[in-house]
Amino acid sequence: MYLVPEGDELEIANAAAEFIASALPINRLHTAGNADMNGAVRSQLAEMGWFALALPEDKGGSGLTAVEHALFFREIGRQCGPVDILAQALAAMVCKSADVRDALVSGTASAAVLVPEGNRHRLIGSASATHGLLVTPQSASLHEMAQANIEARPALDPANSLALVENLPAPAESQDGAHIWRLGQIGSAAMQVGLAEAALDLIVEYAKVRETFGKAIGSWQAVRHTCADMAVMTEAARAELWYAATAMKEDRGDMEAHVDAAKHLANEAALKATDSNIQLHGGIGVTDEHDAHLLMKHAALLSRLFGSRQYLLSRLLHAKLED
Amino acid sequence: MDLRYSDQDREFRARARQWLQANIPQERRPASGKAASQFDRDWQKKLHDHGWAGVAWPKEYGGHGLSGLQQVIWYEELSRAHAPAQHVSTTYVALMHAGPTLMARGTKDQKTFHLPRILSGEALWCQGFSEPNAGSDLAALKTKGTVDGDHIVVNGAKTWTTDAMHADFMELLVRTDPASERHKGLTWMICDMKTPGIDIKPIRTMLMDDHVNTVFFDDVRVPLANVVGEVNKGWSTAMATLSFERGLGFIADQLELLEKVGRAIELAGELRLADGRLAIEDDEIARRLGSIKADTMAIRAMTLADIAETDRTGIPGPKGSMMKLMVTTTHKALSQLVGDMLGWGFMEFDGDRASNPWTHDYLWSWVFSIAGGTNEIQREITADHVLKLPRSR
Repeated sequence: MYLVPEGDELEIANAAAEFIASALPINRLHTAGNADMNGAVRSQLAEMGWFALALPEDKGGSGLTAVEHALFFREIGRQCGPVDILAQALAAMVCKSADVRDALVSGTASAAVLVPEGNRHRLIGSASATHGLLVTPQSASLHEMAQANIEARPALDPANSLALVENLPAPAESQDGAHIWRLGQIGSAAMQVGLAEAALDLIVEYAKVRETFGKAIGSWQAVRHTCADMAVMTEAARAELWYAATAMKEDRGDMEAHVDAAKHLANEAALKATDSNIQLHGGIGVTDEHDAHLLMKHAALLSRLFGSRQYLLSRLLHAKLED
Repeated sequence: MDLRYSDQDREFRARARQWLQANIPQERRPASGKAASQFDRDWQKKLHDHGWAGVAWPKEYGGHGLSGLQQVIWYEELSRAHAPAQHVSTTYVALMHAGPTLMARGTKDQKTFHLPRILSGEALWCQGFSEPNAGSDLAALKTKGTVDGDHIVVNGAKTWTTDAMHADFMELLVRTDPASERHKGLTWMICDMKTPGIDIKPIRTMLMDDHVNTVFFDDVRVPLANVVGEVNKGWSTAMATLSFERGLGFIADQLELLEKVGRAIELAGELRLADGRLAIEDDEIARRLGSIKADTMAIRAMTLADIAETDRTGIPGPKGSMMKLMVTTTHKALSQLVGDMLGWGFMEFDGDRASNPWTHDYLWSWVFSIAGGTNEIQREITADHVLKLPRSR
C-alpha cells in the first residue's frame, strides 16, 4: 500500500512537466489563435511518445498504466493544455487498424473530442482534426471528419475551439466497453487536479508579495483561510485521483466507483480553486492579461466532459467499495 | 503506487473481524454517568484481556506495535462491527493523548506505573489544557504552579475538561515561571484527580449532557516526580501531545465516516418523506448523499496515503490539520443531511445518543469542529505549515 507517486512514476511526471512548460506554456493563451493543439506541438509530443503512453506494447505503445496516464495529464492541466491531447491518446487506443493508430501515435493524424448534443454533436478541439472521438460509458468510436459538416462556434475557453457537427459520419473504428471512458475520466480528472494546483500556487505566491493596509495579504485570515480551504479540496481530489488510477491499474472490483469519485472531486476542486483564485486576486484577477481566468474557463470546459455531476453522483450512491 | 495488502495485513483483518463479531458488547452504552464510564472501562478491559488493546502502542509498552496500515484495518473493522465509538469513550484521552505523551517524554517510573493501567482500562484520564481565557490561544494560560519543596502547588482553573468527573488522572499544563510569557515557563504534569483541593463543576452543553467541566484548583499539591519533561519546558511536551492528536488521533473518526455514509444511504432507501416518496428518490437528497460519499472516499484515500507515507518515513506529515478540516466538515454535512431526511424524527431528542444517534451526531459536529483545535485554528496551521503564508500572528 503506497499512494504517493514514486520512482519511475515521478520521473515520468517530471519529464512531462518540463516539456509541457516549455512547449505549451499557459501564457500562449494570451495570444490569439493558439487554441487547440497545433501541428508543431503535436509532432513534438508524438516524437516523445506521449500519445502512446498507455497504449499496449504489442500495439507499439509504452504499455504503461492509468497511473502514468494520470501523472501526464495532471501536467497538461497545469498549463491549461487542450483536450485534443487527451483525444489523441485515447483515439489511438480505439483503433484496430494499425495504419490509423500509427498515424495518431506519430501525429500525422489528429483527434478532437465529440459529445452528443440533441441530434447533433459538439466538437471540442481543432475543427481541422482528421478524427473525432466519441466516448460513452458503453463504447468509444472514431469518426473521420474530412467530409463532416462543421459549424464553428464562439468559445469561452481560449484553450479549445468549439463547433457543432451535423450528420456525423459513421464510425471508422469502434470499441465496446468502458475502458476508454474510464481513461477519459482519469485524464480529465487529472487535468482538473493540475488546474486546481496551478490556481492554488498562483494565489499563494501572490499573497506573499501583494500588500494591503501595510501587510502582505497572505497574513490576513480572510485570505489565509480561503487558501487553506482550496488546499484541502485540492488535496482530497489528488488523493482520490491517485487511488482511482491505482485501482484501475490493479483492475480492482471497485475501480469504477473510485474513477467516478475522482472525476467528481476533481471537478469540484478545480471549479472552486479557480474561482477563489480570481476573487482573492481582486481587480487584477478579472483582467484579460492575467492567467486566472484561463484556469477558470478551462475548468468549466473539463467539468462538462466524461460524466455530469448528476451522472457521477447517482452512480456513486449505490457503488460497492472494497477494503 | 499500489493498493495491495500483504498476507499479514489480510490475515490480521480476518482475525480482527472474527473476534469483533463474537465479542462486541450486545448492550447499549449508557448515556451518561458512572455507568457510561464503567461500560468504557469494561470494553477496554475486554480488549486488553483478549490481546487487542494498544494496537498503535509499541510492544515494549504492552501494545502491538502495528504498522499504520494495520491500525487503519483495525479501526475499519471496529466501525464495521459497530463497536463502541472511540470519540465518545471516556478512555479517549488516556489512550490517544496521555499514553503517547508518556511514551515520548515520561520517566521510566511514570511509564511503568501508568501505561499498563491505561491499556487495561483501569485508569481514565482527562486533559487540563484550556482555560476560561486560553483556548485557541493556549499559550495565554495562567493557572499558576509554584514549586514548594518536592511539590508544585497549583491554583487556577481549567475548562472544557471532558469527563473530568470520571478521570483518575489529568494531563495538567500550568505556568510555573510567573515572570514568563506565552510558550515559556510552562510545566506539563500528571495530576491525580483525588488530590485535595480539586473541585469539578459540570458545564451543561447543548447536547443535553454534562460531559465537559470546569476544574478549579485550590492549593493542589502535585509531586515534582509527576512532571513530564522538564519544569518550565512544558510547551514542548504539550506539542508532542497535540501533534499526536492531529496525526493519528482522529483516524477512527475518519474511517467511521464511510460506514456512517453507508448507513445513511440505507436509511434513505427506507425513509418516506412527507410527500410519501422515499428519501432517496429526492434528487437533492440523492446528490448530497453521493457528494458526501465521494468526500468520504477522498478522506479514506488521504488517510491511507498519509499512513503509508508515515510508515515509510517514520515522521508524520504536516497534513493532519487538512484532514481534520475535511473530516469535520463532511461529518457535519452528513448529519445535517440525515436530519433533513428524518423530518420531525430528528427533532425528538432527550440527550440519549443511543436512542437517536443522528441527532446526537449533528450536535456532536460542533464538538468535533471546535475540540482539539477549532477549524479556524486548523486553517491557520495549514496556512502556516503547508502553504507557508506569512504569519497572521
